Amino acid sequence: MATSQRSQEPQRPKKGLTQEQQNNPYMSMFNHFRDELDEHHDRRERVIKASRDITALSKKMIFTLQRARDPFSPLPASLNKEYEMRFKQIQEIISCVSPDLQDISTYRYARQITGGIQEYTEAIAFHYYLATGKLIPLSAVQESVKSLIEITPGDYILGIFDLVGEMMRFSITMIATRGDADKDEKVAKALRDLRELRLEFEGLDTSTTLGGESGLLGKEVHKKLGVMKTCVEKVEAAVCGVIVRGSERPKGWIPDLTGATGGGGGTMDRVDEGE
Amino acid sequence: MSSCNIYAMVDPEIFAAVQEQIESDSQVKEDIREALKKIDKEVRSITSTLSRVHIIPPEHVIDLTTTADEPIKRLRDGIQGLIDIVKDYPYYKYNGIWSRDIQNVAFLVLFQAWLQRSYAPGNAENSLLTIEEVGDVLGVPVNLKNEDKFHLTIEEYLHAVLSLVEELTRLTTNAVTQHDFLRPQMINRFIKDIHSSFQVLNLKNDTLRRRGDALKYNVKKVEEVNYDLILRNLIPTGADEKKEEGLKEDAKEPPEQQK
Repeated sequence: MATSQRSQEPQRPKKGLTQEQQNNPYMSMFNHFRDELDEHHDRRERVIKASRDITALSKKMIFTLQRARDPFSPLPASLNKEYEMRFKQIQEIISCVSPDLQDISTYRYARQITGGIQEYTEAIAFHYYLATGKLIPLSAVQESVKSLIEITPGDYILGIFDLVGEMMRFSITMIATRGDADKDEKVAKALRDLRELRLEFEGLDTSTTLGGESGLLGKEVHKKLGVMKTCVEKVEAAVCGVIVRGSERPKGWIPDLTGATGGGGGTMDRVDEGE
Repeated sequence: MSSCNIYAMVDPEIFAAVQEQIESDSQVKEDIREALKKIDKEVRSITSTLSRVHIIPPEHVIDLTTTADEPIKRLRDGIQGLIDIVKDYPYYKYNGIWSRDIQNVAFLVLFQAWLQRSYAPGNAENSLLTIEEVGDVLGVPVNLKNEDKFHLTIEEYLHAVLSLVEELTRLTTNAVTQHDFLRPQMINRFIKDIHSSFQVLNLKNDTLRRRGDALKYNVKKVEEVNYDLILRNLIPTGADEKKEEGLKEDAKEPPEQQK
């Protein structure tokens, strides 16, 4: 802050500056503005930093969850420990940034914090889904952060959009690793759930409100809608492939999806939602 | 497969609630835009009134500015209408929709006051309304930090100041065409003060920064007009000449700053 100001000063003659400052009737007002704007920018920076940190930790939580092999049942103890550790770290960041997001600031910095909140929602929702097989309601996400910060419906829905990508990766890994995917009830449920989510998303009124940049969900939503559809279709194709050619399935073989195939969770990174 | 529903992932109420929120959100936005239409109508009429300053002789300017008094009062009502719509929601939730309109409104208030103060006989030193004064004219609080209510923000005010500078830059040229050589000198001093005041702000890389950076071109343009006037002895007093001499040194500064 101070440095950027200093860098501008030497360009002007020192004497002229003081003279100008003395005669300038607006200088004191602008000095006041500077203090106010600095305060605002500092707060904004802190929120951006918190958002990035929350995003990074949430991604780690998701990686941990992707290592689970048996969905719709409690997490193995080792994974759970990892997950809880990250969760606690996020809670600490949230309680640190919380004072910057109160009252009038809640929406002032909404655009700065929303990235972190979306990723966090995604992680929490993924955890909830793997444990219960259900979609987490907004109220439960809000409860998880107590009332330290506000989770808006926009944050929530955009986070759930990304959840579809994680469910896709998880399903593909299940198909690849569990064997007998054509008869596996859990794979069938995962596919059903993906389709159900897709139907719900498509059921939202996208005509005017959801679509435009000015909608509740902003301009990202169109892209996310497309990515979400692709994700569902990948799993549909995978299950179809297993059923058609399942009997010929050699051990470790998984259906060809996008050219990037493999057995482990690691290679699945390439079948990411970004593609 | 018949047991689908027991396993169903999504509680339909979740999406029904979201749909409801999307709808009420878009309704609010529509109401806001409706209220802004009324404000914009007044803004356009005041703009065209005050713009006549560029083509009328200086002695008529004060009369001209008073004709804007009534429409500015109506602007106040228009803003009150907007406030009635948004007062139940967090201020910054929808602020982006009207911020530009409020900047235009604030500019007109600043412009009218500048003209009134600067064309008055024995003109006042300080021709820029403070943010508080603009707030008073419009009947809104300014720079609220702890209270979540409608207000004029510092950024909006600064944008309005920059618009004023642009308008006055144009006025410099047009004043000369009216053989009014006093205004270019006043504007010159005013814009210099604003320019050096902007230097104390630590602006982030945003629209305010970009517009603030462009201030130097306005300074330069007005300086050139003044310089030409002095060169041809169209600005008489020796004292002024000396002052302009000093200012000329500063004229070299804008290109340096560009890097």
